Amino acid sequence: MITALELLEILAALGYSWARMSMSLLLSILFSLCVGILAGVNRLAEKIIIPILDILQSIPILSFFPLALYIFISVHPIIGPEIAAIFLIFTSQVWNIAFGVYEAIKLLPHEILEAARSLGLGPLRRLRDLYIPAAFPKIAANIPASWANGLYFLVACEIITIGESKWKLFGIGTISTEFMLSGKIPQFWISLIAVVAAVIFMNLALFIPLMRLSERYKFEAYAAEVPRVWIERATKPIGELFGRIFADKGLPGGEPVSRFLSYLASIIKRNKVIVSALAIAALISSSAYYLNSIDVSDYLEVVISGFGRLGLIDPLLMIGFSLLRVVSAIIIGLAWVIPVSILIYERRRLEKILVPTFQVLASLPATLLIPLIVKLVLDAKLPLETGAITLILLGTQWYLFFFISSAMRSIPREEEEVCKLFRIRGFKKFRHLYLPRILPSLVMGCLVAMGGGWNTLVVAERIVLDHFIWQVENPGIGKALSEAVTSGDLGLLVAATIWMVGFIAVLNKLFWRRLYQKATEIVGVVT
Amino acid sequence: MKTAANSAEKMREHLLELREVSFSYVMRGGEKLQVFDKLSLSVSYAEFLGIAGPSGCGKSTLLRIMAGLLKPESGEVLFRGKPLKEPTPRISMMFQSPALFPWYTVLENVMLALIHEKELSREEKEERVKVFLDMVGLMGFETAYPAELSGGMRQRVALARALVAQPDLLLMDEPFSNLDPLTAISLRREIETLWRNQSLPPSSVVMVSHDIEELVELSDRIIVLTKRPVKIAGIIEIEMERPRSRRSKEFYEYVDEVYTLLS
Ligand SMILES: Nc1ncnc2c1ncn2[C@@H]1O[C@H](COP(=O)(O)OP(=O)(O)OP(=O)(O)O)[C@@H](O)[C@H]1O
Ligand SMILES: [Mg+2]
Repeated sequence: MITALELLEILAALGYSWARMSMSLLLSILFSLCVGILAGVNRLAEKIIIPILDILQSIPILSFFPLALYIFISVHPIIGPEIAAIFLIFTSQVWNIAFGVYEAIKLLPHEILEAARSLGLGPLRRLRDLYIPAAFPKIAANIPASWANGLYFLVACEIITIGESKWKLFGIGTISTEFMLSGKIPQFWISLIAVVAAVIFMNLALFIPLMRLSERYKFEAYAAEVPRVWIERATKPIGELFGRIFADKGLPGGEPVSRFLSYLASIIKRNKVIVSALAIAALISSSAYYLNSIDVSDYLEVVISGFGRLGLIDPLLMIGFSLLRVVSAIIIGLAWVIPVSILIYERRRLEKILVPTFQVLASLPATLLIPLIVKLVLDAKLPLETGAITLILLGTQWYLFFFISSAMRSIPREEEEVCKLFRIRGFKKFRHLYLPRILPSLVMGCLVAMGGGWNTLVVAERIVLDHFIWQVENPGIGKALSEAVTSGDLGLLVAATIWMVGFIAVLNKLFWRRLYQKATEIVGVVT
Repeated sequence: MKTAANSAEKMREHLLELREVSFSYVMRGGEKLQVFDKLSLSVSYAEFLGIAGPSGCGKSTLLRIMAGLLKPESGEVLFRGKPLKEPTPRISMMFQSPALFPWYTVLENVMLALIHEKELSREEKEERVKVFLDMVGLMGFETAYPAELSGGMRQRVALARALVAQPDLLLMDEPFSNLDPLTAISLRREIETLWRNQSLPPSSVVMVSHDIEELVELSDRIIVLTKRPVKIAGIIEIEMERPRSRRSKEFYEYVDEVYTLLS
């Protein structure tokens, strides 16, 4: 059975993983605010930023990992892998938040922008009084999905095998996999349960209160009510305790933290020249160090040979098959997400049960369940493709759900009432009201889900649990990437990544951007 | 003589009746906001009823209950003597905002009101919509989108949409508040003419407005509401020849009377 030591170990591992996640979430929010607001406000910035975000969000982070590890380890051998992990989790958390901020700014009612202009609010005031409050609901709504996504990859990036070398970061992903592989099944389950409990706690203590708070910043006359959860009611005393502890301190952590920050700020302000000189020196020396450690021309040769070995037909085939898998997963996702969002919207009582349940489910890392899914698929003798599509679905469906259900919630009360008045119901209502209203978010949701889908391919098409390997029979770009990672074939890895990213960029340019344009035109939002 | 007696008789019959209606909203925290507590009032056949009251007292809510959009917690809403369970095409409503679907053209927006008219062909529906668009002065704008119209024009589309199904009762929530004075005058005329014409719907009109002079100009009766929980502060019967002149002394006496009740 499980020992107290192991239990402690699980808790400590959880702490480490959560610290990584929180760091990168904070980074993600800051980054999203900067980039999303800039793109939403400035047309030139929009033209540059949005395509870049599109591409970045579709780069499979695991194919990134060896490179990032390489770079960060060369910066510092111990902190390097840690920073690499945070950076990679960041790349899995940030895009939907950034797009959410962008969309919130983009959809700001004209009257409000004009009012701000006529009030003569300067850029800083506008940022503080208009853009950040407007983006807040979208950020709050996207945090659970981002957290889930981060967890999804946390598990994968705590352990990584590249050729001969193996990196391990102490964390929940590492120890749960170790438990599983060493046959300590109860310990494996307990670490899973610990993750579930921690996720539920995060939801209750942070995500749901944040969302409730953000309702106030919505522009609809009567913002939808964020449902109270039964669990929350049960844990209300605890919540009140916390409330009392943090009361009159403003922020969690309150006084000391803010005092420390302002102290820090004052130091930096007083020694501006010294601090910036130090920063620049650090930057130069570290990049020099990095550039010394690899030979650029060697590197180029390796990549070119990778392209040569891949050829022309194979990558297209791989991408084609992968695209099919991702699209099937999205279609399956939409098939349940659209009816369920409508149901939740129409039956407010269901919202109180389903939305929190989904929030918790959405925050569970599907990668922790990989061993289980593999076992189920093998036992039921289903084609291996079902396993892959299931994993992609698990990694994408919540984007669809959160995008679509938040669009449903912002349907103006009076449009709803017009339908009631003329008794427009059922499919007619879907056609005349719901579909046009959710269209932009539907397209956005599919775009983001698709990006998430490409990302999950690396773990979905080929699963490596130490000595156990399980992969789809048909070609797949994720499979190729994963193979390149395990064999440590840097050239192949970079070549396959570039193929995939190129394809995604073309797809976004030719398809998604136009579709989104059309969708917003139909709804009459001036972009 | 006979018809006059008949219509006098009809005046006393109720087209719509609210009996001891109570209603409250459930607020975010779960606490209740009581808007109405056993409120009773009625709309007669062929009546033009005006409703005034302080902002936020519940006038829009009252219209929504009359339209069957909101269900009272207790009490009854009777339409032609029968309980009103859900919205009916016989009652139509103009909201405080035009509430047009931005993805549809003017024509399509108004057509929505005829979605259940199975016996009409598409062409017939279009014909009818055009008649009403003409009536509100929007001929030639059928293919425009709401975003391309001015505030007043949108409000007129909303009016056409409310009238096209030929309802018996038209509920209007501050219909002229976003209009320029000239458009407001012509639209008021239009509505008054339609309402006075016995052969054309609507038979009765309920209008909520902050503009007391507008209420006095159009209403047979004005119900003045108090702050929440809403009670009836007073009912003023207006017996003046139509069309009413806003300059007469009598007119101002009525206006003053409403103001006194409001404050
Ligand atoms: N959906 C809702 N949920 C909660 N409270 C509401 C809702 N709609 C209205 N209220 C509240 O009910 C009260 C009455 O609202 P209502 O819109 O009926 O007022 P009103 O008399 O039409 O105001 P105005 O003259 O400003 O249009 C207000 O205090 C408002 O805050
Ligand atoms: Mg109102």
